[in-house]
Amino acid sequence: MAAVGSAASWLFRLRAAGAEGHWRRLCGAGLARGFLHPAATGKDAAQRRQVAHFTFQPDPEPREYGQTQKMNLFQSITSALDNSLAKDPTAVIFGEDVAFGGVFRCTVGLRDKYDFGVHVQNMEDSCTGKDRVFNTPLCEQGIVGFGIGIAVTGATAIAEIQFADYIFPAFDQIVNEAAKYRYRSGDLFNCGSLTIRSPWGCVGHGALYHSQSPEAFFAHCPGIKVVIPRSPFQAKGLLLSCIEDKNPCIFFEPKILYRAAVEQVPVEPYNIPLSQAEVIQEGRDVTLVAWGTQVHVIREVASMAKEKLGVSCEIIDLRTIIPWDVDTVCKSVIKTGRLLISHEAPLTGGFASEISSTIQEECFLNLEAPISRVCGYDTPFPHIFEPFYIPDKWKCYDALRKMINY
Amino acid sequence: MAVAIAAARVWRQSRILGQAALLLLLRRPGARGLAISHPHRQQEQQFSSLDDKPQFPGASAEFIDKLEFIQPNVISGIPIYRVMDRQGQIINPSEDPHLPKEKVLKFYKSMTLLNTMDRILYESQRQGRISFYMTNYGEEGTHVGSAAALDNTDLVFGQYREAGVLMYRDYPLELFMAQCYGNVSDLGKGRQMPVHYGCKERHFVTISSPLATQIPQAVGAAYAAKRANANRVVICYFGEGAASEGDAHAGFNFAATLECPIIFFCRNNGYAISTPTSEQYRGDGIAARGPGYGILSIRVDGNDVFAVYNATKEARRRAVAENQPFLIEAMTYRIGHHSTSDDSSAYRSVDEVNYWDKQDHPISRLRHYLLSQGWWDEEQEKAWRKQSRKKVMEAFEQAERKPKPNPNLLFSDVYQEMPSQLRKQQESLARHLQTYGEHYPLEHFDK
Repeated sequence: MAAVGSAASWLFRLRAAGAEGHWRRLCGAGLARGFLHPAATGKDAAQRRQVAHFTFQPDPEPREYGQTQKMNLFQSITSALDNSLAKDPTAVIFGEDVAFGGVFRCTVGLRDKYDFGVHVQNMEDSCTGKDRVFNTPLCEQGIVGFGIGIAVTGATAIAEIQFADYIFPAFDQIVNEAAKYRYRSGDLFNCGSLTIRSPWGCVGHGALYHSQSPEAFFAHCPGIKVVIPRSPFQAKGLLLSCIEDKNPCIFFEPKILYRAAVEQVPVEPYNIPLSQAEVIQEGRDVTLVAWGTQVHVIREVASMAKEKLGVSCEIIDLRTIIPWDVDTVCKSVIKTGRLLISHEAPLTGGFASEISSTIQEECFLNLEAPISRVCGYDTPFPHIFEPFYIPDKWKCYDALRKMINY
Repeated sequence: MAVAIAAARVWRQSRILGQAALLLLLRRPGARGLAISHPHRQQEQQFSSLDDKPQFPGASAEFIDKLEFIQPNVISGIPIYRVMDRQGQIINPSEDPHLPKEKVLKFYKSMTLLNTMDRILYESQRQGRISFYMTNYGEEGTHVGSAAALDNTDLVFGQYREAGVLMYRDYPLELFMAQCYGNVSDLGKGRQMPVHYGCKERHFVTISSPLATQIPQAVGAAYAAKRANANRVVICYFGEGAASEGDAHAGFNFAATLECPIIFFCRNNGYAISTPTSEQYRGDGIAARGPGYGILSIRVDGNDVFAVYNATKEARRRAVAENQPFLIEAMTYRIGHHSTSDDSSAYRSVDEVNYWDKQDHPISRLRHYLLSQGWWDEEQEKAWRKQSRKKVMEAFEQAERKPKPNPNLLFSDVYQEMPSQLRKQQESLARHLQTYGEHYPLEHFDK
């Protein structure tokens, strides 16, 4: 399951340049930049690629966790991983290409930093002792199965799946094994110390196999947790919570935010609780629910609604997909009477359907209008048609307007 | 292939010599160094246009100018290591493990007790007392020979036909039965079908039905054991059918590249339900795949408990000492049906089954050995048969009488903590049972 095309060509260039340990020299020609922001042709206006469909809105600098540093999303991930490796001597990070820093730079510097070379029994076997941050062969079912095995012994396993689009070979290991380990063994065994991280969501040009948001497939699987952050500060706290959580977790990282999202993030470790949605803006007239990148889209929709319609929106970032925070969403809908849920993943069977179904059960008499879902179409994720495919602010605004006028 | 194995041997030996010596052994004259992170796995190559030798990073090999396809050898495959002949006589005295009498008696009693338990539990399924069962007939030698060669704390990942490993580790009959009955004593809390045993105390990871999923997991556990300097090996059992799964390929490759102290133990018993090996693979079984991954491999007579013991013992010693995987393919025969849901007369002859039952059974062969050593006789045999049957029947009757676990246990352990939405579902079942309880078999369940 190799990522073909631009990702691969950048990787080859890095190899040729003797990449290992020399990532910084290649900053200007890095893979991440190449993938996330392909060069614009700069010629004909009609040919120029679209700008991003959202504007990242940083949260105010957190005060309660000590000193902060400006970090983008991938740096906040690195910081969380760094904290984990420091605190927990059993923690290991593995997956395809993580050793040199990862195709999105999330693991830059970690291999060298934690190379103490003392753990392996026979030093000759592993000449540098780099047994904490390491590459695996190209095999997702192996990566997750291997990670489960590490976790069964009680050690902390942090597995990376290079793109969420490639998680499917590992579906059996996740759904049939990881999720069921504790239950089926009567709590004799578990793989709670397993966390799977994976880049997720649209990126502007990712097409079918570099843009997917597969959270709905896993939402149907009791026994695992699925978490999606909207920002660097959220990501670090949520990832640390996933790593420390005693249940296997999948942590999807919105790849379009890796460089685009920058804010102040505490340097020390901190936790953001799982299964708790966050009301990031209070409002009276309509509840907007989203997760990941889409939170920034609906934030903008809320401003548009305020300006053009005089409508006050309550914005909820769901954060944990399963087990999800039903109470917070219910409480909000009881107040507003209207609910709009938006995600990039296709409409049918998408997670908005679960939210919609539960809310109409719990809050039926409070609803002033049918629950609205603004999602991707029921198609594979297209390449050139991405601007038309995604549930952008205009589609969300239009749905909101219809709901208000219902 | 032979070159690769020879080269692997050189690399392994050179660990003792040290890194510098290692590079000397592999360095070709007139080459410039290439920066690589694992010099003991790849040759140091120096690029030079004057040198006509291959420079490819992907293989350590010479050029050849003759077009020739390598012929896989399935007529004369990897030979089968054995210690005893079919009459239980030691063939090569230097291979006799010279195990003490008590240990060999423990082998015999474990295998026969398992056999007795299998007969009774198979019958109990036929009578509708338990829902399902899988016997181990004919493969007892693979379980006991390998289990005996391990330390008690070595972690076991099984498939589903390794109950003899647990038997050897003194898992009580009561708990075997409790799991099959799903009664209140089941450590697994009644959640799985029969024979899905697990025991934390005895380091036997709970069985799951999907095949081969345990293989990469076992590799991960071995990696963690290596990092922890635990002096522990992980053993992973699977059948020749499960070895066709992608997870098997993943596990072998990871174990080799990540240098894990693991024993892959394949029970090649001739059938995967009804699928014979001729429809499962076309190469020389499973042992022949090992070298393809860089794994030291051996094929043994799985019905010869001493052969299984010797191979596992040596594999364990080296896996821990050298941090590398070993592959043991134990040839055997599945005398019983796949499970109580199978009638194997539909796809194989009774004559074939009888041959193995009568002429090449691990229990018979060991009994011949015991008799020839003077460690066993007909009287002891009779007494033991009676005693083992009595033990099994007692455990069986007890297991029958016990209630099933409280239905609340349907809801726990999904996560470490119960999510609030699940608690609501638990409460809704409780309310439902208050009104409709008469339609449910509540009288069999713990209050």
